[in-house]
Amino acid sequence: MARAALALVQTDTKAQWTLSHGVSHSCAMESRQERSTIERPLVSVVDDDESVRESLPDLLREFGFAARAFSSPEEFLASDCVSQTRCLILDIAMPGMTGPDLQRELKLRRQQIPIVFITARKNETVRQRVLEQGAVECLFKPFSDTALLEALNTALRVN
Amino acid sequence: MHGEAQLEPPAEHPADEIRRLQRCINDLVSVLALPAIWTGSEPSQIVSTLLDALLGMLHLDLVYVRLKDPVGEGPIEMVRCALTLKLALKLTTRPQEIGEVLDHWLGDDPQKWPPLVRNAIGGEDISIVPLRLGLQGEIGVIVAGSQRTDFPGQTERLLLSVAANQASIGLQEARLLSQQKRVASELDQRVAQRTRDLAAANEELRKEIAERRLAEERLRREERELKRSEAFLAEGQHLSRTGSFSWQVATGEITWSEQLYRIFEFEQDAPVTIERIGTRVHPEDLPLVIDMIDRARGASRDFEFEHRLQMPDHSVKYLHLVAHGIRDHDGRLEYIGAIQDVTQRRFAEEALGKARSELAHVARVTSLGALTASIAHELNQPLQGIITNAGTCLRMLAADPPNVEGARETARRTIRDGNRASEVVTRLRALFSKKDVTAESVDLNEATREVIALSLSKLQRSRVILRPELADDLPPVTGDRVQLQQVILNLFLNALDAMSGVDDRPRRLVIRTERDEGDRVRLAVQDAGVGFEPQGVDKLFEPFYTTKSGGMGIGLSVSRSIIESHHGRLWAAANDGPGATFSFSIPRVPARVTGAHSNRDIGTPAVSDTDAA
Repeated sequence: MARAALALVQTDTKAQWTLSHGVSHSCAMESRQERSTIERPLVSVVDDDESVRESLPDLLREFGFAARAFSSPEEFLASDCVSQTRCLILDIAMPGMTGPDLQRELKLRRQQIPIVFITARKNETVRQRVLEQGAVECLFKPFSDTALLEALNTALRVN
Repeated sequence: MHGEAQLEPPAEHPADEIRRLQRCINDLVSVLALPAIWTGSEPSQIVSTLLDALLGMLHLDLVYVRLKDPVGEGPIEMVRCALTLKLALKLTTRPQEIGEVLDHWLGDDPQKWPPLVRNAIGGEDISIVPLRLGLQGEIGVIVAGSQRTDFPGQTERLLLSVAANQASIGLQEARLLSQQKRVASELDQRVAQRTRDLAAANEELRKEIAERRLAEERLRREERELKRSEAFLAEGQHLSRTGSFSWQVATGEITWSEQLYRIFEFEQDAPVTIERIGTRVHPEDLPLVIDMIDRARGASRDFEFEHRLQMPDHSVKYLHLVAHGIRDHDGRLEYIGAIQDVTQRRFAEEALGKARSELAHVARVTSLGALTASIAHELNQPLQGIITNAGTCLRMLAADPPNVEGARETARRTIRDGNRASEVVTRLRALFSKKDVTAESVDLNEATREVIALSLSKLQRSRVILRPELADDLPPVTGDRVQLQQVILNLFLNALDAMSGVDDRPRRLVIRTERDEGDRVRLAVQDAGVGFEPQGVDKLFEPFYTTKSGGMGIGLSVSRSIIESHHGRLWAAANDGPGATFSFSIPRVPARVTGAHSNRDIGTPAVSDTDAA
């Protein structure tokens, strides 16, 4: 699991060890890595499936985005990436807080991040509901890279 | 005075005479007063006072009385003696002895008694005067005696005579009184007896009346109860829409309850006959009913079946009939039974069955959908990884310069996700191949009966005449009871389907179990349905082969695989007549039942159980 429960992460901005609660991803670290290609929009991925968290960020970077992956909505909310995220790729069904739960939570926090939902369960009713709630797109797994890119472009135009 | 000659007294002195006469008058008054004393007395008391009075009054030495039979208890004798005489006589003065002596003198006939007897007793000089009591002496006699020579004087005779008369009257009265008393007492006794008798009779009568009243009461109560139970029965028949009947097979005489007339909508005036019933039976069920009646005529048996009626207005009724056959002393066959109108229940059942099958369909579709969704989810996750990684890989290689290291990494991930997808498939297969064949001792007859019981209503609804021919000596087999019942049920349902369009002949279904060669047991299901083309036999058992519009075509294929897992054989054959017979034959004790990955003990233990049973 990439999800680092109680992992010690050293950040470069603060030269100290901080005890994280498994949710401390640092967008600063990411942004330093991406500094050469500065002003790349950040796309965050929230999915409990490891292979998605592994493969999608690489594809997103190939597309020219900055990318971060989180294993749960809670982890994403606890990170400092929320305000910098230009687009959120969000799984629907997850243990604990679900994708639509996060969608509502962000709305409450007035965080207007465009969301592209992805799900392994093909359910038109659910798709319709999240779209009505303001999602840019809802893709059924397995989706193609071009379908994702199209959705991302739509999302960034909205943004 | 003793020994002196008693002469006539000399002329008296007038003064003496006056005294004598005065004394005489006094005595007379005393004698005349006696009856007043005697009133109500017994004869013995009367004579006793008389004797005492005479003895004292007349200075007698002896006075004796004999009453012949004053109160019907034999003669009474009584005697009074002056003390002097007693001493002189030295005799006992017992009345009987004196009486005997006197009898000697007096004789039996009172008419011949001398007025006076001298020297009568014991040689003593004693004069006795016998006096008759009653005109003819019929009451008795009084004998007065004195040793005086001048006895009896004139006044003495008078006094004795008057006393005798008085005594006669007194005794007469006493006798009458006594008789009256006796009669009265007898009467009293009779009355008392009669009264007792009457009371007893009365008591008897009262008891009888009470018993009769009880009996009548009982009878009335029984009548009431009978009427009530008749009313209950009629009401019960009416409420349960059940009528009862009896049928004398030999005479054809049929007795129906009122409710049956109502169910069949017959007028109650005409007698019920088989023919009349036949006019109401639904044309499609007529062969079934006729078959039943023919079988009932043959041998005494118990029946339970359902058939339909078609009423004059073309409405349809469903009837459930139960009948019990009995033979009387002369061996005549009679059926007694009940017929219930189950139309409403049948409609409800049909609605329920429809709802249930719809529900089952929905459940099947739902569970299949859920299963599909979960399989899709399990597979879509690694597929997404494969597609994304492969896409990234291509993009990295297409870059300038190509990112070979990144491409290599994403290609590795693609392979890994491919393997993950493969694992999902393996897991799914494992999930569905978990069904082990359980091995237990199975009585195929019993298993068949259960299947029949389960499908009874379907059989009857399909108007199929089922004839089970289950061998009595069928040994148990070892296998999976539920799976074998699935096979039997499948063969059953196929047979019903094959006969569903048959209307020109009875829809006869025979299910037969028997021993087969080589320690095997065979079960056959023979229908009278549409049958199959001889060249199509092999195709029958192929998966997804079906001749039915609503079927999936996997029943026979699954059945065959179940039988084969029991080391048996399932085959089909065309009948000589219409229809087909599907049979399977399985060994009693398979060497080893193939349960794909069965972790159970197969075979022997369950068999030994049955052998013991």
